[in-house]
Amino acid sequence: MADKQNAQKSVKIAAGAVVCVESEIRGDVTIGPRTVVHPKARIIAEAGPIVIGEGNLIEEQALIINSYPENITPDSEVEPKTMTIGINNVFEVGCVSQALKIGDNNVIESKADVGRNVILTSGCIIGAFCQVNTCEVIPENTVIYGSGCMRRVQTERPQPQTLQLDFLMKILPNYHHLKKTVKAGHAAS
Amino acid sequence: MASLLQPDRVAYLVRGEKRIRAPLSQLYFCRYCSELRSLECVSHEVDSHYCPSCLENMPSAEAKLKKNRCANCFDCPCCMHTLSTRATNIPAPLPDDPTKTAMKKAYYLACGFCRWTSRDVGMADKSVASGGWQEPENPHTQRINKLIEYYQQLAHREKQERDRKKLARRRQCMPLAFSEKYGLGTRLQKQRSGAPISSLAGLSLKEGEDQKEISIEPAQALDEVEPLPEDCYTRPISLPEALLTSLVQVDLHLFVSLHRTSSLKPEFNPTSIKFKIQLVAVSYIPEVRIMSIPNLRYMKESQVLLTLTNPVENITHVTLAACEDEDPDGMNSTAKVIVPTKELVLAGKDAAAEYDELAEPQDFQDDPDVVAFRKSNKIGFFIKVIPQKEEDADVTVSFKVRHDFRNLAAPIRPSEETGDAAAEAIWLVQNVELRLGPLAP
Repeated sequence: MADKQNAQKSVKIAAGAVVCVESEIRGDVTIGPRTVVHPKARIIAEAGPIVIGEGNLIEEQALIINSYPENITPDSEVEPKTMTIGINNVFEVGCVSQALKIGDNNVIESKADVGRNVILTSGCIIGAFCQVNTCEVIPENTVIYGSGCMRRVQTERPQPQTLQLDFLMKILPNYHHLKKTVKAGHAAS
Repeated sequence: MASLLQPDRVAYLVRGEKRIRAPLSQLYFCRYCSELRSLECVSHEVDSHYCPSCLENMPSAEAKLKKNRCANCFDCPCCMHTLSTRATNIPAPLPDDPTKTAMKKAYYLACGFCRWTSRDVGMADKSVASGGWQEPENPHTQRINKLIEYYQQLAHREKQERDRKKLARRRQCMPLAFSEKYGLGTRLQKQRSGAPISSLAGLSLKEGEDQKEISIEPAQALDEVEPLPEDCYTRPISLPEALLTSLVQVDLHLFVSLHRTSSLKPEFNPTSIKFKIQLVAVSYIPEVRIMSIPNLRYMKESQVLLTLTNPVENITHVTLAACEDEDPDGMNSTAKVIVPTKELVLAGKDAAAEYDELAEPQDFQDDPDVVAFRKSNKIGFFIKVIPQKEEDADVTVSFKVRHDFRNLAAPIRPSEETGDAAAEAIWLVQNVELRLGPLAP
């Protein structure tokens, strides 16, 4: 129980963020203002802290996990790497994100799987059910879609979901209990 | 066992141009010739055109004019998905007061699959939700149209000559455009007789139209062709120009319906197609289904339980008969079958029977050797099967089902005998083949 309380305590939720109680947040996680975390979303910081910026939308059953790479056991000495997530990103229902660095205005669509060695810059869209587990930096404004993970570059970045975020921030507190905002850390940029 | 209920276990014979066997659920029944028909016996005719994405019904003439393309729906040039229209609010200067800006709705096209938007290629947002997207003019339209007209006229002339030759041979009084008037039907017949088809001939020119001579300039062959620019392979492509002309309009699909007879008009409203459902065979012919199969052994007699269901509302009498040895229909059967010789009586289908608790029990005297059970319009009966071949293949049996059929919906012909109001029963014979499965090991 004490461990759980410790873990809970190191979750820093900024004022203005809406994080539902039914979501599972473990480890050292910092959530910026205006971010919405739906119930049943999971943010798990095993192998290092996770810092989430502002204006992000993390939908149900999304999994953001900073886990150990498979061939390294947790006992051996590994330096904890911080997972950084920028602003205005959307993690749609059921997606899995292990990418260590995610920039701004990205959209990870439903059931997509982003591996640990991928770095998303800005404006990238990972299409539904696409599995990206290469070891590369995805250039800006790239769209990955289709069963063959075809790629193309679009000319403008996806719009930030301001309308959706405003709506959710008004409605979710009516139906869910929220995790109390702990003393805020610095807003992640 | 659910596998016994698979539709392809019981196949009915269709005596059409080709003798084919198909499960009853895939067959149709022609009320006019009282015969089972399959999809091969009917000719498909285009009934109406509709767009698969917006489901808009378009009369055929309009469809031909618009070259079978829907006016409002577009395909994504990137992934060929159907595009959807999205709206945004953009600040735009008010027409009265240029200094103030108000939010106006602007519409653009977006693909839900690959996230392509019309803004990607530089197409401006439109202010109307539908109808704002114009197809750019094809610079070659004039030449293409002229070529099409010329070839249409040529095809028509060739067809006329051919018809004239046929007339001379047959010495009949047929109008010249006979083959044209009846459209697809005679086109199919022509195909069967091996005559060459000119697909453009049926399209337009009416008989009485002025046969004006259209002449075209032949295409000119050039000796020198401009070579490709040298940086053709190395220059990066500028996408907005390339994709601007590639908004593809959605193809209209053809709504195909069953062709009845030429004297009946097809439905005009595609949303109320009822006649196809009325003609399915399952609602006229009693259906045989396999209920249980014991272990089948070579040369040993076993009893197979079948069910017979009556689809019509009046009582049906069914007699079964085994196929004779020399019967060509029974050549596929690998077992001898002994069917009950007595006539089976099936009660009518009563839709309200399940709700009627006080229904009187049906009063049929059933021979327990023949009839296993009886339930509203269904009976279970036994047949004896003696497998004749010891191969690994499935044991198949075939027999004839003779039942009476009352044609209630046929047009009532005025008959001379008074009081002949009820429809007469005619006897139909169906040939059924059952696939009973492999021999028991």
